[in-house]
Amino acid sequence: MNSLFRKKSTIFTFLGPALLLYSLVVFVPIIWSVYHSFYRWSGLGTKEYIGVKNFIQLFTADRNFWPVFSQTFIYTGLQITFQVGGGLALAILLVNIQKGRSILQAIFYIPVIISSVAICQIFGKLLSVSPVGIVNELLGFINSDFRQIQWLTTPKLSLLMCAMVEGYKTMGIYMVIFYSALISVPHELVEAAIIDGTTSFQCLIHIKIPYIQHIILANTVLVLNNSFRSFDIPFLLTSGGPGTTSELLASFMYKKSFSSMQYGYGSSIATVIVLICFSLAVLYMKVFTSEENSW
Amino acid sequence: MKSIHTKLRHLNLLCIFKFIVLITLAVIAIYPLIYTFLAAFKTLEEFQTLPPYYLPQSLYWNNFIEVVTKSNLPLYFGNSLIITLAVDLGVVILATMASFAIEKLDFRYNQHILIYFLLGLMIPIQCCLLPLYLMFSGIHLTNTYSGVIIPQIAFGLPLSIFLCTKFYKFLPNEIIEASVIDGCTARQLFFKIVVPMSQNIILTLTLLRTVFCWNDFIFPYTFTNSKRLQTVTLGIQDFIGAYGYTDWGKTFATVSLTIIPTLLLYFFLGKYMVAGMSEGSIKG
Repeated sequence: MNSLFRKKSTIFTFLGPALLLYSLVVFVPIIWSVYHSFYRWSGLGTKEYIGVKNFIQLFTADRNFWPVFSQTFIYTGLQITFQVGGGLALAILLVNIQKGRSILQAIFYIPVIISSVAICQIFGKLLSVSPVGIVNELLGFINSDFRQIQWLTTPKLSLLMCAMVEGYKTMGIYMVIFYSALISVPHELVEAAIIDGTTSFQCLIHIKIPYIQHIILANTVLVLNNSFRSFDIPFLLTSGGPGTTSELLASFMYKKSFSSMQYGYGSSIATVIVLICFSLAVLYMKVFTSEENSW
Repeated sequence: MKSIHTKLRHLNLLCIFKFIVLITLAVIAIYPLIYTFLAAFKTLEEFQTLPPYYLPQSLYWNNFIEVVTKSNLPLYFGNSLIITLAVDLGVVILATMASFAIEKLDFRYNQHILIYFLLGLMIPIQCCLLPLYLMFSGIHLTNTYSGVIIPQIAFGLPLSIFLCTKFYKFLPNEIIEASVIDGCTARQLFFKIVVPMSQNIILTLTLLRTVFCWNDFIFPYTFTNSKRLQTVTLGIQDFIGAYGYTDWGKTFATVSLTIIPTLLLYFFLGKYMVAGMSEGSIKG
């Protein structure tokens, strides 16, 4: 084009500030974490190089790591069910009604814009036992024993509750994505299928879903990535408790780093999370590029 | 004839069924919010003695009055506003400029730089907190506004650049070339031609960042420890006392007040917000 667009000083003025800030705040810390995961350091005093001992301790000696790791996997699985499954189900229902689509869509989207702190406060109250919250109060009409269900302080339930609250908060985003994908399916395809005598359910399973399967796949990887670094809801709703039964990798790392002052050890957990997230990022790019090719 | 009739009735029933399912789900989705606004009007006694599904017995404004006049909430609102505006401004300026360079300027590594920024969408924010905390306390940025603002600008860049480059791709090159022939410098070109044409994307970026920043709690939670700098999201927890005693009326009054600004933005400008969020579909 023009030499103006190739001038180094122009490029630098426009790109420089963003690139510098982004590198300093986002990438340098990641490299810092990976580097410090090979050291023993409590923030004060000298750093001691200990090779991969942090990782060995993490994988073999830390009683909490593998439970937290598997909880993160369970949590991720639940997120895929709620966000991708639930979002898709809502989108399908919405596409199938004639009236009130936009108002319903607006309502389902509202939790997305409310802060996690507020959501956790609200749900803490709705699910509380003393005084009895609304959930237990309503369940109490079915069986009075249900009034005493301790949603947030029973080991297996608390993780499920965190996952449900997170699903409640983010489902709306995926509903909107799948909704716009579903209405982008060409009319000719659907009409041809209906003329051939398929029911609307068959049409959904055999035409619409396959047509948008790349969007579903790409968003599944996104949800995977987002869930592996989930932090807010368990941190605020149950603070990982009772014990560490609803702790996830990110909040586990945060507590190790900030509360126990084990900077090197915390960094090694951070490195594990970064590695998982980066491999998912690569996977996402693979899915994404194959999506572009197939269109 | 009969078969068509039953088919129609069947269809109708199915439609009604779908509608009922959706309405039920919508009620579940919106109920926590309605409960919050109602609970803000309840007295302490009502919380203790009446079942939670009861409506407030009267419009008891005292929770709001006390929260506004006697608590730190006005201070938190001010802090949140300052931080949000600064982050919005920083993100919009840096993101539009960088996106312009990536999409329209001519150098060898455009795509590599874009991918480098997009990687930021997948990075766990919490993994950067400890190094950032140490870095910031080294240069005395903890317990300052800048300490909360700077990281939020940086972490806001990936999504904003992602959306902005998509927008600039469709900005006609002819206009840019014509203005260069007319003798514009790069800076004039950007501020006089490109920025006025980017109003929509700037609105989307601002709205998204406002919501994310207003709702954020991890940066102020980690990088500040004085009440003086806290934001509204942290203020919600002010009425949770020791021994699990919570002043629920005031808590819900605070929650209501903090979500009203984002709700208003959503109701008036929701279209731009939803478009941006679903296109990015990534956490703040």
